[in-house]
Amino acid sequence: MAFPTSSGSSLFKLSKKSSQRFTPSAQEYLASLKAADDDALAREQARSHSPTPARESYAHTTGTNYAPSIASTPALSFASTAASTISTPTTHAAQLEEDDDPLLVPDTPPTSNDPPPTALHSEFGYCNNEQYRYTSSYRPGTSLLPQHQDPPMTILLATYISYLFLIAIGHMRDFFGKRFWPAYYKHLQPADGYAALNGDFDSFYTRRLKLRIVDCFSRPVTGVPGRTILMYNRVSPDFNVTFKLTGQLTRALNVSSYNYLGFAQATGGVADAADESIRRYGLSALGPRLEAGTQDLHQAAEALVARFLGMEDAMVVSMGFATNSTTLPAMVSRGSLVISDEYNHASIRTGVRLSGASVRLFKHNDMSSLEQILRESISQGQPRTHRPWKKILVVVEGLYSMEGTFIDLPGLMELKKRYHFYLYIDEAHSIGAIGPHGRGVCDYFGVDPREVNILMGTFTKSFGAAGGYIAGNKVLIDRLRTINHSFAYAESVSPPVLTQLTAAMASIMGVAPPLPPAAVGAPGTLIPASAPYVHPGPAPASILPQWMHLPPLLLSGQEGATRLRRLAFNSRYLSQGLRKLGFIIYGHRDSPIVPLLIFNPGKMPVFSRLMLAANTHPNAVPFVVVIVAYPATPLITSRVRFCMSASHTKADVDRLLRACDKVGDLLDLKHGIPKGERWTVEEVVDRAVELVKME
Amino acid sequence: MADNSQALEPVLNYVNASLSYLYHSFLSIPGSSILIRYVRSSYQNDPLRTLLEIILLLFALRTILQSRTRADRAAKNYVQLSESEIDELVDDWVPEPLVAPLSPAEQAQLNALPIISGPAGPKVKLMQSGKTVLNLTSYNFAGLAGNEHIKEQAIGALRKYGVGSCGPPGFYGTIDVHMQLEQDLANFLGSESAIIYSQAFSTASSVIPAFCKRGDIIVADRGVSFALQKGIQISRTTVRWYDHNDLASLEEVLVSVEKEMKKKRAPLTRRFIVSEGVFENDGQMVDLPKLIELKQKFKYRLVLDESISFGSVGRTGRGLTELYNVPATHIDMLVGSMATGLNSAGGFCAGSHVVTEHQRDNGTAFVFSAALPALLAVSASEAIGILRDNPGCLRELVENVRVVRGVLDRLECIEIPSHPASPLIHIYVRNSPATLEVPNGIARKTNKSKPNSLVPADPDVFDIESEERLLQDVVDEALAQGVLISRVKRLRGQEALEPRPSIKIAVTAGLSRKETEKAAGVIRAALLKVLGKRR
Repeated sequence: MAFPTSSGSSLFKLSKKSSQRFTPSAQEYLASLKAADDDALAREQARSHSPTPARESYAHTTGTNYAPSIASTPALSFASTAASTISTPTTHAAQLEEDDDPLLVPDTPPTSNDPPPTALHSEFGYCNNEQYRYTSSYRPGTSLLPQHQDPPMTILLATYISYLFLIAIGHMRDFFGKRFWPAYYKHLQPADGYAALNGDFDSFYTRRLKLRIVDCFSRPVTGVPGRTILMYNRVSPDFNVTFKLTGQLTRALNVSSYNYLGFAQATGGVADAADESIRRYGLSALGPRLEAGTQDLHQAAEALVARFLGMEDAMVVSMGFATNSTTLPAMVSRGSLVISDEYNHASIRTGVRLSGASVRLFKHNDMSSLEQILRESISQGQPRTHRPWKKILVVVEGLYSMEGTFIDLPGLMELKKRYHFYLYIDEAHSIGAIGPHGRGVCDYFGVDPREVNILMGTFTKSFGAAGGYIAGNKVLIDRLRTINHSFAYAESVSPPVLTQLTAAMASIMGVAPPLPPAAVGAPGTLIPASAPYVHPGPAPASILPQWMHLPPLLLSGQEGATRLRRLAFNSRYLSQGLRKLGFIIYGHRDSPIVPLLIFNPGKMPVFSRLMLAANTHPNAVPFVVVIVAYPATPLITSRVRFCMSASHTKADVDRLLRACDKVGDLLDLKHGIPKGERWTVEEVVDRAVELVKME
Repeated sequence: MADNSQALEPVLNYVNASLSYLYHSFLSIPGSSILIRYVRSSYQNDPLRTLLEIILLLFALRTILQSRTRADRAAKNYVQLSESEIDELVDDWVPEPLVAPLSPAEQAQLNALPIISGPAGPKVKLMQSGKTVLNLTSYNFAGLAGNEHIKEQAIGALRKYGVGSCGPPGFYGTIDVHMQLEQDLANFLGSESAIIYSQAFSTASSVIPAFCKRGDIIVADRGVSFALQKGIQISRTTVRWYDHNDLASLEEVLVSVEKEMKKKRAPLTRRFIVSEGVFENDGQMVDLPKLIELKQKFKYRLVLDESISFGSVGRTGRGLTELYNVPATHIDMLVGSMATGLNSAGGFCAGSHVVTEHQRDNGTAFVFSAALPALLAVSASEAIGILRDNPGCLRELVENVRVVRGVLDRLECIEIPSHPASPLIHIYVRNSPATLEVPNGIARKTNKSKPNSLVPADPDVFDIESEERLLQDVVDEALAQGVLISRVKRLRGQEALEPRPSIKIAVTAGLSRKETEKAAGVIRAALLKVLGKRR
């Protein structure tokens, strides 16, 4: 353990000590960079003043933090500011903070009786109340069809009118712009015998709609994307065409990163293991897997992933997107049919397109639509020739990242028995996040994973690493190893990334020995009674690298089990709470992804900015939220997407609910349930435990 | 008859009345008179036209009403089947296995892949034999693997940022170190800006479709790497091919495209030349100044993949632009890898602001993928710093390349297609000692290749299976003598044009001159032993 375990409060001051430990290296880093940098950058830096010491602004200084006056900061170039701010240790500002900042110090600090916290509160929240736990598992009978509630007609109409208005204004601006400010349109016009790289019609949406709200996207951040995140404040002098960093940082509650189990940490047992692996292995395996890019770590990780999922074998790929896009072509080709959910991720679509197989789409999560397509395609065979399809691969996602819906796995398994298709489940978002043991949708629904042909998932989300895996039987995986693009041509997974995922996965599973399997799983963990499937037990210590020493809490699997149960509570609490407040929420109640429907394009940026400004009510804290609109969603259903994490405490979710309640009133977003059935936010907060247990 | 017409009279009257009612109510719609006048006048000029227009209108309506997914059902050869027939067909359908199991030989090959125990670097310990061997197969050109300074900085980054970025760049995955790395890359190369991707392989196959759309034109080298092939495939662009690394052939193709466009009177479209700096498939090097001259003459944009040459070629590893002293701004999309040249991970595309900003919205692998882990971005930045400050490490690389070529060049049993300055050296088995073919094969083109087809006019003739077996024997023999090299692993059947089997040697500055000499000697002995036996 990296931490003194004497008292809790000392831990939260640790940030200052740790800052001293890392500051010299960070400064050296900057110094070497600066010294070595070429003239251009040096000149830029000479021109700009060094930024004001990063003083984080919080709710106490509301207003000033969101829109700092441009005059107060000299004209910094984007790049030079980035370079200089790296040297500013994030914890430096923390010293100036008051001790009661809720983002840094727990609301209810641990007493001497409580177990001491194991992580920095800013990265992983301290929450010791056993009531605020829940077990994620499927209750038979719950409907799995997407419950997409429609907004009132007025909202619908207003949304369409807004888009019409935006498009009309955009065209007007283009019309006059081209005549009066031709320089701005130069790169959109053919010039000098070259066609425009990007036509003005093709880029209309980006230039005239997205640009208006682009300040809500790609916000630069620093530090750990954990429970809180540090965001660079920026201003735009030219209506979002360019941004300038003000040199100030805002610490905000992070309900946007895919950090479901809270393993995005710079401290703690998992990070210590990653640290050790850099010392031992360096940073790269130096080549593709099939050409000497395989290390013992890769083998260990693959064995562990297979064990974690309960599959025979697994392989790891260095990028989540590429896991789909480079292995799908190895499974299907011309003459095969891929039946794909209409909301499947872009990586799946890329992979299928590369494979040359035929594609048909079925309605999102609608098993009757899938069955109809299956009957039609099997009976009709290939187009024109009517030859039978070589094989049919049904590709679905476990948890849809924009909808928050789970795949209807029970229904799908029944279809699979009847129609003999192969099943490919992309568990990018569900693995590690749902199910009583965190093993994804199979665990959640109590389905034997070996009945699924291919399980795919990523390490970016729940495990705080990067890359992805494919798991299946040994024959399949061995064949895929020899013919997938990534193994032959792409870099293999980097050692620290492998270590992070191995350590995180092992701590969800628990490691045996030293502890008997009985110790795994906290009390209250229940397996659905009807489930024929028993989840695979703890990770055998022999799989893990010899040098990896995890702290006892991680080894026993206790920490992992707690995280799973905290995530399940937080997800369900937020989803149920927002519904009770009256919002239109998509998705299932156990989903850690909670989409809140906004509809009107004009309300999206306002929602995002208000949540960040945190000036809707006293004691508000800033939030960073993700807004999604067309083309990621259908035109009409713009939404905010919250990603819950085990690192959030109940108090954090309370804060989020309070903030949404205020902003929701302000923006007229509550159209889910009639006024009479709604609860007040205080009621929701008080009756949280009861709410979570409700259907 | 009269009775009949009498009986029909009320019906006719009714039809008449309702028609005139319809006509009058149609007239009452504002603007209807214009339509009637238009139809009348067009009927006068050309009676057929009205008919044609009505058919056109009906067709348009049909197309609109017909949803895409139901196209099969409406198709002519849709067979109407009863439910029980469908059930029967479903019962009868037996799919092929998902994949074919590996043959024993393939399984043995897979199991025999070298597994490195511990860090990868110039000398590695192999898990299977427990021996430490000299490594001439891993990409470690500048010898940055295991660099203590980079490791320290990476650990510093780990302690500040954690490992994963936990989000795509659009959603709080843009970390300051990413912006720093992009700036470092742009400054290092001298381009306006750069954008980073989280896997090198996916970079090229994302950059091309971000710009090249249906109707655009790509003129590409026949020998481009797999990643570029995939990018071209997914972009659905019109492709014309020119002979591998043959700029005379490129010029011919460019001229023919120009003629074709003039003949068709096609509107101005985006046109791209796609090539590599140092070709991954055989280590040849493109004549960059000439390529740029052609590109400018014919007004094409250039996509140059420097995945191998970045970090390995040029005085400080800036790649071909440095070697030929060409400003990087002349290359519209310069694609490179941070995994090979910088021993980190990920790829990048450098170009103008317009080029990089466009990818932030349209590069699929950028938009839909989690950002590069912060510690890998930091180590890439550090590696750039080292390259910039210590040109010495690449001097050693150049020296080692010379050593290896000195040992191998004179061997008669092999062909080396690679450029003398390329740190990536490919070795072919020489077919028959009689034909002393020039590897750069420009001279003896008898007939011209067709730009539409991927297959060149006179393709190399080789027997994949036997050559691969021989090369594998060489690899095994070298490994037994303590030098790790690798046969190039190809996805046979998936490559656009089957590349010739080869052994790959990635020379590294991480080994001393003496060690390199020794390793090259071992490879030479293995080649002589295996290939000499053949004759």
